[in-house]
This record gives sequence, structure tokens and C-alpha cells, in this order.
Amino acid sequence: MQVNIINLRKNFGTTRAVDDISFSFSSREIIGFVGPNGAGKTTTMKILATLDEPTDGDAKIDDVSIVEMPEKARRLIGYVPDALPMHRDISVHEYLDFFARAYGLTGTQRRQVIGNIEEFTNLTGIREKTLYALSKGMKQRVSLARALLHDPPVLVMDEPAAGLDPRGRVELRELLRVLSGQGKAILISSHILTELSEICDGAVIIEQGRIITAGTLQEIAKPEVEQHTVLIRSLNQQDDLYPSLLLMPNVAAANQLENEIEVKVTGSEEACSDLLGNLIRDGYRIVEFKQRGGDLESVFMNVTKGDVQ
Amino acid sequence: MKSIADRLEKINDTLNPIVVKELRQAVQGKFLIVVLICFLCFQLLTVALFLTNESAAEAFNAGRNICRVLLGILLGTCLLFVPAYTGIRLASERADANVDLLFITTLRPRSIIWGKFFASLILTVLIYSACMPFMTFTYLLRGVDLPSLFILLALIFIVVAGGIQCAMLIGCLPANRIFKVILGIGWFWLTVTIFVPLIVIMFLPGGLLDSGIGSQLGSWRFWRGALGVLGSGAALITLLALLSTALISPLSANRALPIRIFITAVWLLTGVVAAIWSIEINALRPIWTWGFINMLLFSIGLFVAVSERERLGQRVRQDIPRRLLPRSLAFLFYSGAASGVTWASLMMILTALPIAAWIGIFPYMFDHALETLGSLVAMGLYAFSYALGASVIRRRFLASRVTCGYTWVIALVLFGITTTIIPLALFFLSGEWEQEWLIASPLGPLLIVHPFLSVDESYIVLHSVTIATICAALAGALSLPWLIRQLDDFRPPREETASDPQTNESGEV
Repeated sequence: MQVNIINLRKNFGTTRAVDDISFSFSSREIIGFVGPNGAGKTTTMKILATLDEPTDGDAKIDDVSIVEMPEKARRLIGYVPDALPMHRDISVHEYLDFFARAYGLTGTQRRQVIGNIEEFTNLTGIREKTLYALSKGMKQRVSLARALLHDPPVLVMDEPAAGLDPRGRVELRELLRVLSGQGKAILISSHILTELSEICDGAVIIEQGRIITAGTLQEIAKPEVEQHTVLIRSLNQQDDLYPSLLLMPNVAAANQLENEIEVKVTGSEEACSDLLGNLIRDGYRIVEFKQRGGDLESVFMNVTKGDVQ
Repeated sequence: MKSIADRLEKINDTLNPIVVKELRQAVQGKFLIVVLICFLCFQLLTVALFLTNESAAEAFNAGRNICRVLLGILLGTCLLFVPAYTGIRLASERADANVDLLFITTLRPRSIIWGKFFASLILTVLIYSACMPFMTFTYLLRGVDLPSLFILLALIFIVVAGGIQCAMLIGCLPANRIFKVILGIGWFWLTVTIFVPLIVIMFLPGGLLDSGIGSQLGSWRFWRGALGVLGSGAALITLLALLSTALISPLSANRALPIRIFITAVWLLTGVVAAIWSIEINALRPIWTWGFINMLLFSIGLFVAVSERERLGQRVRQDIPRRLLPRSLAFLFYSGAASGVTWASLMMILTALPIAAWIGIFPYMFDHALETLGSLVAMGLYAFSYALGASVIRRRFLASRVTCGYTWVIALVLFGITTTIIPLALFFLSGEWEQEWLIASPLGPLLIVHPFLSVDESYIVLHSVTIATICAALAGALSLPWLIRQLDDFRPPREETASDPQTNESGEV
């Protein structure tokens, strides 16, 4: 199953929340949808979930258009919102029972599906609790359980890890891996980028409604101009080291941190090796020289400015 | 036993999920409990107060006197709290920022609306059931007959059902919180204006309760009236439900189709009934009222129609018939701006023509027949001019600023300018009020000539019709290419060339 987002636009008055976004993902893929607050992630996800309608553009799940055939698309999409809408006077089981009925599940099948999902999302013990009495983490589980009731091939998850404790995050990661293994296409937004790096096959980074970069993690981590970030710590010579670094060949920029200096080195890894050689030759007593990896967090920090619409 | 359990299971499965959820939430929530307790307390207090008053308690019509107050409390509770509860819940579920997830399930919009409606009716029945012991008590106190009591309870139920659907329609309107609060205040005002006359008609001395309505069950007159009320109530509730359903349906759906078919059917049926009634009472009033209500409805329809989308999506186009005749008929009823304008205009003509024919056949029924017809025609022509004029203004001057969905606002501004700003400006300039200043508005001829007043200022109607005709001709002429383009586009997708842009789009990263 292939999900294609095609030239999606959404305006709120004169503000363009989503500006000509196009990307695609398919079954067994987990795609991270990353961007600063107000970048247009939630709007895009709401449009995908058919909760909102785009100003222009479309998204297609195989051949099913979310604009023209939202009813069909709803069978194919499971949406986990960033916050579970408040249903104060209803228990977890009743909530799931309502949505199971709403997706057309009947009789024994409905009971079985609800039972299985409650077990899968670890809700069996709290099924009779009312929703308002649940913690944020429990609500997220209920939200995920609801999204899985009709066994959708596509999952759209908006900040599912927000508010989860460390154990909850680990469990969510495991659940996502299982779901991806079952063949589901998953689009997930999160601010916890280190976690996304561990589970995502690819990422789409957006800012001010536009895609900044997209692709597999390897593709987006690779900068256009080869550049390495190196952290250097010397023994009691930090103040002298900083101006010297700025004068050295291949050093594009240097940033003095609390205990170390962050240096951007242009060129291959050989340039980094040369830099270390030059520092030792100049008499600096280096105690730490480490290269920072091209992870999602550093890519995100490099490509975004933090501007909102 | 097993078969009974199986049958119960099947019944359980056929229940509308919305009804199940709404009732679960209602009985587990605090709102209903508080309302029920307050309702019971009020009733108990009323009965206690009556019984402690010795002369009132021993009167031969003590039951009727208590019944008046109890029915009033029942009407007030049901008319205020049940629609408010339903409407506010629906509005919060449809809030822009946090649309409830039930709207992205595979439940059809129709099921959602009717489910919420039936759940609210069940809540009304629950309140009714809490009232029943007190009603039985009033019967035992004498002075009230059971048929009258049941008829009044049925009447209250129909009014409450209408109130619920009205509140649901407001809850479904795509508006922000402030606008919804304003609409809510409007709804409250409407409820009070309905509540007060109902109390007077039904319960106060000389009203339906005193008229012995229950004794008329054997007469055709009673059943004709009852069927009229029932039919009107059912028609209003269905129309409001269809409008609510259209509001929560996707934009791509053929949202106008059921509404236009229903309105056309009701228009035809009520037209026949009004004609028969007019002949029976030998007066123009029923047919003129029918014409006026329909002309007003289709004028509003024009404002809505010009705000519909101008390009149809694949979904609607797939349902367009291929043959010319069914396609022409479908053009009138399918969603789309040009379709809506054509349908509403045609219905206006079809409303005015029978009245014109009626005046020709029965000229003795009314003294100012031509003026009456003229006022209706002016109203229709002005609505047409405002609606199409607004569409022209939006397309030519405001295309980049105002989306097609807000064309009705421009039409309302045009209506406001001709109805208030121009007459007021002339009033302040000249220092005195003249009726002629309203000739550029549909209100002018309507205020001057209608069947209940006989002020002969026919020249104003004539001038108004002339100006309205010129405006309508101008707006129509300017909109003709727009209408023709949409009529030409009204074809099923396969008849197009292969270069449909929607099929060629691709969007890889």
C-alpha cells in the first residue's frame, strides 16, 4: 500500500499552514514527520486523517483520494491525535466498543477484536476506568487502541510519545516495530528525535509549511557539502585553543561550549585527521576529539531555523 | 434461551452506535441527573403547593389547574434543556480546533445526525416518564380528560423534536466559537418566542386544554388539523436533518441532491394542499402564504447556491447520467453553484406562475391580486440580482480574497445596502421618510402590499418590479458565460479527453 501526498496546501485565512507538500511512503515503512512547533505537521496529519480538508492538493492511499472519497479513505487510515478528545463519562471499554461499532464490527467479532486490542495495548486492566481518570500515557494507549480497531493499513500518529514515561516510550517503540512488521505504513510525528532515529526508516522535515528535506535517514543525514562536526576538549588550554582553531585550514566554524569546542570541518574524514595532527603538532594537549554522528537531531538543528508561521 | 440471546445480540448489533454512545454518556453524566432531580423537585413543589391550598384542592377542576403548571414545566424543561444539551455537545464535537474522531469513522453523516436525534428523543421520553406519575395524579384530582392530556403531550413532543433538530443544525454550522455563541443566543430567543405562545395556546384558560380537544377525536376536522401539525412537524424535522447531514458531509459529496429533492417534493405537496384549502375557504390567503414562504425559501436557496463550488469533483461527476434528458434533470438537483441557481430560479418561476394563474381564475378572492403577485415577483427578482450580482463581484474583483464559499456574505451586503443604507441615507438627506425609498429592496413592495393590509400604493410595486427586472437581467447577462461554462462542464468523467489534470498528478518526494 502506497500513500502519496500530492501538492498539499492548507490556508487559514491569509496564513499558509501547509505549502505545497508532496511526499510518499508505503507499507512496512515508518516515516518520521519532523518540524518545529507551528510547522504544519498536525494540519497535514489532520488532512490525511480526513479530519480537515485541504485548500488544494490531495493525498491518495493507493487509488483512494482523501478529498474525493474520504469515506473509503477512513477505512484505510488509523489516526492517533496528539491529545485524546475528552469523553468524560465513558469507560475505556465503552469508548472502544463505540468505535468498533462505528467501524461496522458486529457481535462476536467485535468482542474479539476489542479484547485482542486491549491486550495488545495493555489496556485490559483499566478497561472499566472512565477516560477522564486516565493519565496522559494511558490515554495515548487508548488512542492507539482506537486507531487499530478496524485494522487499518496506514497509521498516522501525531506525537504519540508525548507525555509517556521512559517505559511507555520503550513499549511504544516495540509496538510500532510490531505494527510495521505486520505491514502497516506508519507516519509518525515526534519531538523526541533520538527515538525517531531508532525506529524510523525515513523522515520528512518541514518548516513553515514547506518540506525542507525528505528521504531515508542516511540520505537526509548526508549534507550537500561534506562537512563533519567535531567536539574537541583540551587540558587547561581551552581559551587559547579557540582562536587557533579558527585560523586552521578546513575549519568552517567553531563554537565554544561549556567544556568543549564544537568545530565544523569541511572536507572528508581526512580533514578531521589533519586537524587533530595540526593541534598536536602545535602543542595542544588534546584529551578528547570526537566526531558527532549525522543523526536526525543534528540534521534537524542544521536544516531548520525554528521559525513558525 | 440461546435463540433469545442470539436475537438480542442481533438487535444490539443493529442499534445505531451513536444512540448507544450518547445514551451511555447521558446516563453516566451529571447533566441529565441534575435536570431530572430539578424537574422532579419542581413538580413535587407544584403539587404540594396546590394541595396545601384547601380551596384550590377541593375545586372540581383541581386536576386541570395543576396540569396546566405541570405541562408548562414539562414543556420548558424539554424545550430548553434537551435541545441545548444536544446542540452544545454537537457543536463541541464539531469545533474547528478539535473535531471529534467519530467524524472520521465509517459512520455515515446521516446515521450520526439521526442517531443523535433519536438519543435526544429518548432523553425526552425519560423526562416524560418522570412526569407521568404526576400526570396520573392530576387525572385523579378530576377536571382533565386523558385524550386531551395525551394530545397535548404529543404536541409538546413534536415541538421538542423540532427544537432538537434546530439546535443540531446550529451545532453543525461551520462557525467559530463566538459566532456559535451568537447563534446559541439566537436559538434561545427563538425558543422563548415559541415557548410563550405555546403556553398561551395550550395551557392557559381558554386554550387547548380547556377546549376539550380530546372529545373531538371522532371528527374529521380534528384529524385534518392533527395530520397537518404532524406533517408540518415531520417535514420541518426532516428538512433540518437533511441540512445538518449536508453540513457534516464531505465537500466532495453530492450534498445538495437530497435537500433539493425533498424541498421540491414538499413544495409540490404543500402547493396542492394550499390550493385545496384556498378553494375550500374561498380566500387567497393559503395559496399566497404558500407562495410567500416558498419564494423566501428559494431566495435563501439562491444565496446558498452561489456559495457552492463551481467545479465539480470526480465523485459527483461519476454519478452524472450519460443520456441528455436525465443529465439535464440531474443538473437541477446535483451540487454546484450553477445547478443551484438554476434550480432555485426555476422553483421561483414555478411558484409565481400558479399564483398568477390562480389570480386569473379566481380574481374575486383578493382586491390587490396583481400587487400581491408583484411583491412576490419583486422579492424573487431581487434575490436573483443580489445572489448573481454577488457572484459577479466576487469573481471579477475579489477572486483572490474571497473564496466561493463566502459569496453569500457579499449578497447579504448588497441586500443590506439597498434595504438599509440607501433608505437611511435618503432619510438623513431629506429629513423625512418616504415609502418609495425601499423600492430597490424586496421589503418595499412586501411592506406596502400584502393580503392583510389594503394600502393602495401599487405604483411602488410596479416601480420595484421594473427595477428588480432590470437588475436581474443585468446580473443574469453578466453571469451567463459562467452558467454556460458550468452547464457545459456537467458531464460524466469518461466523456472528457485523457488530459484530465487530476489523473496526471504525481507527488514523489
